[in-house]
Amino acid sequence: MIGLIFILSYCLIGLVRIILQLPKEDRRRFFLSLVNPKTMAKNIRDIFCDCLFHVKLWKRNKLLGYMHSSIAFGWFMLIVIGHIEVLLYTPHRAKLFYFPIFFRYFVAETESTMRGAFFFFLMDFFLLMVLSGIFLAMFKRLQSRIFGMRRTTNPSFLDLVGLYSLWSIFPLRLLAEGFTADISGGSFLTKSLNYVLNSFLSDHTNMLPAWWAYSCALGIFFVVLPFTRYMHIPTEILLIPLRNAGIKIRNARKGFAKAEVYSCPSCGLCIDACPMGVMKTHIKDTTVYLNRQIRRRNERRIEEISDKCLLCGKCTAICPVGVEGDKLRIAQRSLRKYSINPDYSDISTAELACSSEGKVLYYAGCMTALTPAIRKAMESLLQKAGVDYELMDKDGGICCGRPMMMAGRFDQARQMVEKNTEIIRNSGATTLLLTCPICYRIFKEKYNLEGIEIIHHTEYIDRLIKAGRLKIRKGKAKYVYHDPCELGRGCGIYDQPREVLASAGRLVEAAKNRKESICCGGSLGSLTLGFDKRKAMTENALANLTSASPDVIVTACPLCRSTFNRYADRPVEDLAEIIDKKSI
Amino acid sequence: MDFGFKISPSSAVNLDNVDLSLYDRLAEVEPDIRKCIACGSCSASCPANRFSGMSVRKAILGLQRGKEKEVAKMLSTCMLCGKCSMVCPRGINTRHLILSICKFYKED
Amino acid sequence: MKDNILIIGGGIAGLEAASQLLKLGYNPIIVEKSDHLGGHVADWNRLFPDMTPAEEVVSRLVAETSEANIFLNTEISFVNKLKDSYNIMLSNGISVITGTLLFATGFSMFDASKKEEYGYGIYNQVMTNRDLEHWFNTGKDARIPEEGPAAMGFVHCVGSRDEKARNPQCSKVCCITAVKQAIEMKQKFPEAMIYCFYMDLRMFGKKYEDFYISAQRDYGIRFIRGRVSEVSENIEGKLIVKAEDTLSGKPVKVTLDLLVLMAGIVCNPDTCKTAGLISLPVDSDGFLKSRDNIADITESPKEGIFYAGACTGPKTVPETLAEARSAALEIHNYISRKK
Repeated sequence: MIGLIFILSYCLIGLVRIILQLPKEDRRRFFLSLVNPKTMAKNIRDIFCDCLFHVKLWKRNKLLGYMHSSIAFGWFMLIVIGHIEVLLYTPHRAKLFYFPIFFRYFVAETESTMRGAFFFFLMDFFLLMVLSGIFLAMFKRLQSRIFGMRRTTNPSFLDLVGLYSLWSIFPLRLLAEGFTADISGGSFLTKSLNYVLNSFLSDHTNMLPAWWAYSCALGIFFVVLPFTRYMHIPTEILLIPLRNAGIKIRNARKGFAKAEVYSCPSCGLCIDACPMGVMKTHIKDTTVYLNRQIRRRNERRIEEISDKCLLCGKCTAICPVGVEGDKLRIAQRSLRKYSINPDYSDISTAELACSSEGKVLYYAGCMTALTPAIRKAMESLLQKAGVDYELMDKDGGICCGRPMMMAGRFDQARQMVEKNTEIIRNSGATTLLLTCPICYRIFKEKYNLEGIEIIHHTEYIDRLIKAGRLKIRKGKAKYVYHDPCELGRGCGIYDQPREVLASAGRLVEAAKNRKESICCGGSLGSLTLGFDKRKAMTENALANLTSASPDVIVTACPLCRSTFNRYADRPVEDLAEIIDKKSI
Repeated sequence: MDFGFKISPSSAVNLDNVDLSLYDRLAEVEPDIRKCIACGSCSASCPANRFSGMSVRKAILGLQRGKEKEVAKMLSTCMLCGKCSMVCPRGINTRHLILSICKFYKED
Repeated sequence: MKDNILIIGGGIAGLEAASQLLKLGYNPIIVEKSDHLGGHVADWNRLFPDMTPAEEVVSRLVAETSEANIFLNTEISFVNKLKDSYNIMLSNGISVITGTLLFATGFSMFDASKKEEYGYGIYNQVMTNRDLEHWFNTGKDARIPEEGPAAMGFVHCVGSRDEKARNPQCSKVCCITAVKQAIEMKQKFPEAMIYCFYMDLRMFGKKYEDFYISAQRDYGIRFIRGRVSEVSENIEGKLIVKAEDTLSGKPVKVTLDLLVLMAGIVCNPDTCKTAGLISLPVDSDGFLKSRDNIADITESPKEGIFYAGACTGPKTVPETLAEARSAALEIHNYISRKK
């Protein structure tokens, strides 16, 4: 009972704090979204789907999904039906919020309850459901592989206390209700247990310790809850409407970021997903541990974890509660203080001007300068299709700003964005073509280039082929397509490159693809991973790509191409190169 | 003694007087800084080179010779694009090195 | 009966060792995977420092080994370890029983297309040192204009001293090869402007420094201390090469008609495969590991298995020949001791 009061007040304070920490306009947006019927419906639907039914987990692994939804939904139904019972039979006591939980204890003598066999059945049914979930959870501790998880999180001490108390709540409840089933009623489960117990323990006083143990377990669970991973249960209910209101991380530790950190259930799905996980030493650098360290305010580890990450975004893509591991890390990086702060205001854009009135402006980017094959193929394709184009950075230009943003130096990145915007606006181009997904992402997300279409070459080639401006001779070669992190998970482009490739040859898929594609290991996202530390990741990603034994590995990112090319046992080419060779 | 003319202040680097305590601290965090073979790949590929003469090679050398101000000026247009780390034959993580220099050294 | 000695590799190391072993009264058997003897040297035109024709060196060795058993287009299929000898199955179906094996497997040349930024295989004016020697031999290469290049460059250390190319070692011979080839090009095309882009010039061998001086003084070859970082193409299809002139501290950009990449020496992947059959150790540089890198360079840590030439690391032609002779002597001593 103390536990319940404690947890309710704690959550309330937490909720108010998080909302207060939001910037003003975000707060307004949040409250407005709460009264908007459309987002309201979405909120309710999301809360039911994610918190109770765990739809995302079902999609991942049925057993894992059942385990979570049985406990969450079962418990929820136990509470709901418990309340209905109280309302029906002892409405005068419904004000006591703890009453339904111990209903069977208090209402032992009431005659009228005996008629509620239907509810008894339901209660027992859901109790059985919860118990089966708990049993699976225990089994998962021993054999996580069956649940589709190779590795799970290493729980902290308090997490274990929470875990064991959660595990014991329901068996104890069963036991307690078993003792009292003959007095207060029960159904197939509790009644039969009652017979068994009665056969050797006929004294009803035995029920007292059982009910005490049950309430103790419940009390302990709720008291430790705020300090354990189970805090995700109340926080997620807040996170969902916040997210649906379109709120983003603005501060590394406050507001939305805080809601995300506390929503992390420490399930550890991100451990298997993390491309750094191929090396055991990196397991503790995954998102689940970042969240734990942020809760503990361990600054040294927070810095270490957030600087090492490749920012491939896979943990974000698979997270069942929607914690954005990559964005959280970038936010942590933005806290760093530097005494030398680059400033680009002296750079004259007139020097970099390029006129391309009404044309396609091709910005190859820094990385493409080191992979001339891509640029040459792309230019050749543009010429074949008769596209009027101009190169923006023939003699080098200003970086797009994405690498700087990944380092958390937003002010510098913004300055670069402004400089490039000026150059592009002044050029008079109508389309901006990019062959690098790193550039493409920031151009899409942070540039304000209204009226100018921003397009990645995979989309553009797809369009040229569909418009009949490029004719492709289909070959027999077997291609596998690697989804670059920034293009796939970053910008959601999965289909166009595949369609283009299918027109040039036979397309096969990697073992893990699309949003689960494995980072090549060359990412600029990681600040601290040295060159020698990345080899194992690249080899792992290559093994994934070659599982269907393709002839050529195709990607659409200059950085992926260079990285794979270093270790691959077969050709690695950009989509543009393939199409250039196959087009007439 | 008066020779009738003055010797202008020498532009030579006097290694005896160079204070390397900060450099040594930097090298503790970034041990790779000692691996540079001064091939110049980073400078040649650097997009910021044309704006401020940015060059990781020169920055490393400058710090070793106690020319911190020049280094700070060079770094002022670094865009952290990562080309230098791509081309470095010694596999130096130049991006993190640059960030560390920005942390350790001051501008003025 | 004469003792069989299986020599893996018919390059100059294998041939020289076979020639010495014949003289010592053994029966060397050479297994060569390609269709010709002489290995990489057979692809070369002239050798430093005296501009000796490579052909001369190879044909002398081939003549000296005419009595040896030579299997071309053959590889080692598998090896069975017997009590104190090996039963070696060749890909042509022949099996050889021998107590002594000599690895003369040599090296591979770095695949220059892996250094994407240099544009080998992408631009029409980029070739490797081997391509250039091929042109010296045959005069056939579309990349070299008939009237000669107005300006050309040599890029040193392509795939050598490069972690990114997975080969941190110096290939030893490219510096002098580049200087040699630059001089040869200048002799053919006196009007051409020739640049050498280097990181360090390692002129360690006999008369190398003379070569270097001559290249500077007599041929006016321009040496630029800076590694090429990017190669691009201009509208006329000429190459734009970017590097830093590290001595002046300024970036340089130059327009060239021809770029020669000095592809380095890397360990031969087939060597590692064959070495794996008898579990020979590989050193940290990727080449075969000798029993001792000073005193026993031609001996493997395994009884009866010997090395000669570039299978243990980059070597020049005279070094390889000397090592092959030394290995032949080691083998002779080993067999005599056993008897």
